[in-house]
Amino acid sequence: MLLISCNSEPKMDDSGLKAASWEEISAKAKGTAVNMMMWQGSPVINNYMNNYVVPQLKEKYNIDLKISGGQGPEIVQLAMGEKEAGITSGQVDIVWINGETSFQLRKIDGLWGPFIEQLPNIKYIDLDDRYINTDFQQPIAGMECPWSIGQAAMVYDSAKVANPPRNLNELETYVKKYPGTFTIGNDFSGMTQLKSFLAELGGSPNNLNGDFSEEKYNRLSKQLWEYLNRNKKYFWKEGETFPKEQTKMSQLFANGELYLNFGFSEGGIEEKVVSGLYPETARSYPWENGTIKNTNYMGILQNAPQKAGAMQVIDFLISPAAQFEKSHANGMDSNTILEIDSLPKEWAEKFTNAPHRKYGLEMEDLKEYAIEEPAPEYMIRLYEDFRTQVIEK
Amino acid sequence: MKVSWKPYILTLIVLLIGFPFIFMVLLSFSSSWRFPDILPGYFGLKNWVTILGSETGLLQSFIISVVISLSVGMVSTFSGFLISRAVFYHKRRRILTLFAYFPYVLAPVVFGACLSFFFLKIGLFGNVTGVIVAQFLVAFPYALIFFGSFWNKKIKSYEDLVATLGGTPRQTFFKVLLPLAKSMLLICFFQTFLISWFEYGLTSIIGVGKVQTLTIKVFLFIKEANYYYGALSCCLLIFPPVVLLYFNKRYVFKNLV
Amino acid sequence: MLIGVVPFFAAFIYALGYSFGVMGVLNNGFTTRFWESVFASGEFLKSFGYSAAIALVSLVLSIGGALWVTLKFRRELDKKFLSFMMYLPLAIPGVVAGFFMIQLFSKAGFFARIAFQLGLIEKTAQFPDLVNDSLAFGIIVAFITMLIPFFTLLFLNVYKNERIEELSILAHALGANANQVTRRVFLPIILKKTGVLIALYFIFLLGAYEVPLILGQESPQMLSVLIIRETRQFDLSKISEGYVVAVMYTLVVSITVILLFLPKRKKAIYES
Repeated sequence: MLLISCNSEPKMDDSGLKAASWEEISAKAKGTAVNMMMWQGSPVINNYMNNYVVPQLKEKYNIDLKISGGQGPEIVQLAMGEKEAGITSGQVDIVWINGETSFQLRKIDGLWGPFIEQLPNIKYIDLDDRYINTDFQQPIAGMECPWSIGQAAMVYDSAKVANPPRNLNELETYVKKYPGTFTIGNDFSGMTQLKSFLAELGGSPNNLNGDFSEEKYNRLSKQLWEYLNRNKKYFWKEGETFPKEQTKMSQLFANGELYLNFGFSEGGIEEKVVSGLYPETARSYPWENGTIKNTNYMGILQNAPQKAGAMQVIDFLISPAAQFEKSHANGMDSNTILEIDSLPKEWAEKFTNAPHRKYGLEMEDLKEYAIEEPAPEYMIRLYEDFRTQVIEK
Repeated sequence: MKVSWKPYILTLIVLLIGFPFIFMVLLSFSSSWRFPDILPGYFGLKNWVTILGSETGLLQSFIISVVISLSVGMVSTFSGFLISRAVFYHKRRRILTLFAYFPYVLAPVVFGACLSFFFLKIGLFGNVTGVIVAQFLVAFPYALIFFGSFWNKKIKSYEDLVATLGGTPRQTFFKVLLPLAKSMLLICFFQTFLISWFEYGLTSIIGVGKVQTLTIKVFLFIKEANYYYGALSCCLLIFPPVVLLYFNKRYVFKNLV
Repeated sequence: MLIGVVPFFAAFIYALGYSFGVMGVLNNGFTTRFWESVFASGEFLKSFGYSAAIALVSLVLSIGGALWVTLKFRRELDKKFLSFMMYLPLAIPGVVAGFFMIQLFSKAGFFARIAFQLGLIEKTAQFPDLVNDSLAFGIIVAFITMLIPFFTLLFLNVYKNERIEELSILAHALGANANQVTRRVFLPIILKKTGVLIALYFIFLLGAYEVPLILGQESPQMLSVLIIRETRQFDLSKISEGYVVAVMYTLVVSITVILLFLPKRKKAIYES
C-alpha cells in the first residue's frame, strides 16, 4: 500500500498566516487555485458564482476558484473522512456553511481560524449584531465569515388563497379547506420551518433560545409530530411523501400544485416572479409567531491547502462590489451582510438607491417576526425524527 | 401467414424507441416551457450556444468524460484480456472467476462509499486519476469475466501448435491471439467504455463533486430544476454511445450467451 | 487478480469495522449497538423487500415483454433498420432514463399537459402520482424501458445460436402445434440459456442507484439509496448504521453470487 504522500505539497505555515499582514496574505494568495464546496441547488446562486465571482477573482487576483457541489452532511463527511485518513492537505479550502454544519465541523475540529478579523472588508460588517455574530446559538468566534443574511418567510398565491394561515391553528383549518396544497420539504428549509413551528408550540418566538434542552425538545417535538400526523392526510400527496429539494418545492408552487410555500430570503419570490417561474400573484407574508432569521457563513477547513487564497476569496465575497452584485433585486436578490452606514459614501448610495423588491417583502418588514436560530441539536434531531416519526409512519 | 396488426405494433415500437431521443433533443432546444403549454415558449439554439460557450463547463465535462471513459475502457480491456488468460490456465480457475464476480455485482455506489477511505488515504480522492481507478475496479472484473469465454481448448491448441512450430510467445500473442480476439476486444472496450460513461454513484463519491463528468452535470441540472440544460447534457450523454452502437452493434451480443 | 479482489475485501472489512464502531473518528471501540438499532428499526428488511419487489416486478414484466416481441417479431427485427432501432435504447443510462420519466410522467410533465389539453384534468394536482410515488411506478417503468430492448436482443441471439427455428420446424413436423412449440421448445431453451444472466440482472436491479434516486420516494427507499443516505447523514453518531446496511447488502449479494456460480457449472454463462 502507498503511504500518505501523493498530494503532499509543502505545508503552509498556518500559525504564520494568522500573524501575517494582509499584504503578505494577499501576495501569497496570488495565482493559487482555491477549492470551494457549496450547495449548488439554486440556479441564481450558481449563476452569480460562475459568471461573476469566478471571472472577477481570476481577473483581480489571478485566483482560480473551483466550485464543487456539497452541503452540510457532505462537507462534514469529507472533513471527517480526511481526518480519519490523516490527510493534512485536503480537497477543499472554503465551505459554505451555517450552524448545524459548523457545529459538527467543530466537533471534529474541522474548521481553521480564527481568521475573519484579518479580512480588510470585515470592517463593513456589524459583528455586534446578534443575528450575525451568533450562529445557531454559538458565537462565531472568528471562525466563520458572514456572507448573507436572510429571514425565512411564508409564500402564498394571492390568486388562490384569500387569507393564508398565519399560525398552526389556522394552518390546520387551511389544509382541510385546500387539501393537497401544503407540504414541508425534507431538507434544510423544511427543517427551518419545523423549528419555527416548534417555537410556536413552545408558546413564544424566543422559546428555543439558549442551550439545547432534551426535555423541551422531547415535549415539543412530540406535540409537533402529533400535529403533523393528524393533518398530513391533507398535505401534498396525502403526506405519503415529502419533497426532498427546495427547488422541487418551488416547482410545485410554480405549477400550482402547492398554494403555500416557505423560503429563505424573505420567501425568495422576487427573482422567481421576474423570471416568470412564479405567477405575479405570488406574495410573501410573515408567520405570526415569527420565522427564523439567520446568517450563512464561509469557513476555511483545518486542512485546507490554500488558506491564504481562501482568505482572499472570502474577503472578495464580502467586498462592497461583490455584495452589491449579489443584492440586486433583479439579480440574485439576496440581502447584503454589510452595514450600509459603515460603507464608503459612494457604495452606501449605490445600495440605498438600488431598485427595491416589487413582489416580495424586505427583511425590514419582517423585523418584528424574527426568531433566532436555536441550538444545532434541534435541527439534527428534527432531521432524524421527521423521518422516523412522520415520513416513515 | 402474415397477420395484419404486426406492422402497427412495429411502428409503435419504433416510435416508442425513437421518442426519448427526439424528446430530449427538442427539450434541449427549448426554454420557458410552462405547464400547461404543449409547445415551449422558446425554441432555438440558445441553450446550445450558451452551454457550449463554456460558462457552465459542459464542454469541459464532456472532455473529462471522454478522457475518463477512454482510459477506463482501454486499460480494463487490455488488462482483462491478459489476466483472463492467466486465470484460464490457472488450476483454481473457477474460484478465481467467482472472486471476479463480487466487485462486479456489488452496486458501484456502495462499493465507492466503503472504498472512499482508502482512496483518501492514497491521495486518489477528488481527482480524475482517482475516478479512473475507481471505475476501473468495476470495469475490470467485467472484462475479466467477459474474456473468460475466449480462452478455451481450441485457443490453447492453437497456442500449442504455434509453440510446436517454433513460434515465440511474443509471436503467439501478436500473430495469433490478438487477431483471433479482435472482435471481442472491440466489444469489451465498448462495454467497459459504457460502464464508465454511464457511471454516476461511484464517480460522485470518489470525485467529491470535483470531477464533474456528464452524469454529474445531469444530476446538478436536475437539482437546479433546469430541465433544458439537463436535456442538453442528456443529449451529450446518449449520442456518443449511439454512434458507437451503430458501428458496433453486430458484435454486442455475440459472446454474451 | 488481486486488483479485483483486494479492494472488494478491503471495502468490506472497512464497512464491517465501521458498523461495529471500530472505525470512524466519532466511534469509540467495539459495540453491537448499531446492529441492534438497525434490526430494531426494521429498516433494512423493509428496504430489502421493497427493492426485491421492484426488481422482481420489473424483471418479470421486461422478460415477458421481450419474450413476446421475440416470438412475434423475430423475422421483422432481422431487418437492418429495425435491428438498429432495437439497439438504440442500450445507449440510455439510468440517469437519463430517470430524467426522462420525470419529464413525461410528473404532474407538470408531458402527459399531464396532454391530459390538460384534452380536458381530462383542470389542474396539475388531479394528474395521478406517477413519479416519486408509493407504488414505484416511475422506477419500474424506467427499468422496463431499459430492460425490454436488452432482453429482446438477448433472446433473439439465443434464438439464432440455439437453432430454435430448426427445432421448431422439427417439432411441427412431428405433430406439435404452435402453442406446444412455444411452451416446450422456445421457452425452455431460452430461459435455460439465459437463466444465470437473468439472476444477475436481478442483483443489478436490487442495487440500482440513479433511477430510484431520481424517481423514488422518501420512504421506503431502495437499498443503495438508503445506504448512501445513511452513511452521509446529518447525525454523525448514526453513520455506522449505514455501514450495517452496507455489510448486510454485500453479504446477501455475495452469497447469491456464490450460489449462482460455484456449483459444478463448468460452463460459465459467457461460454458459448
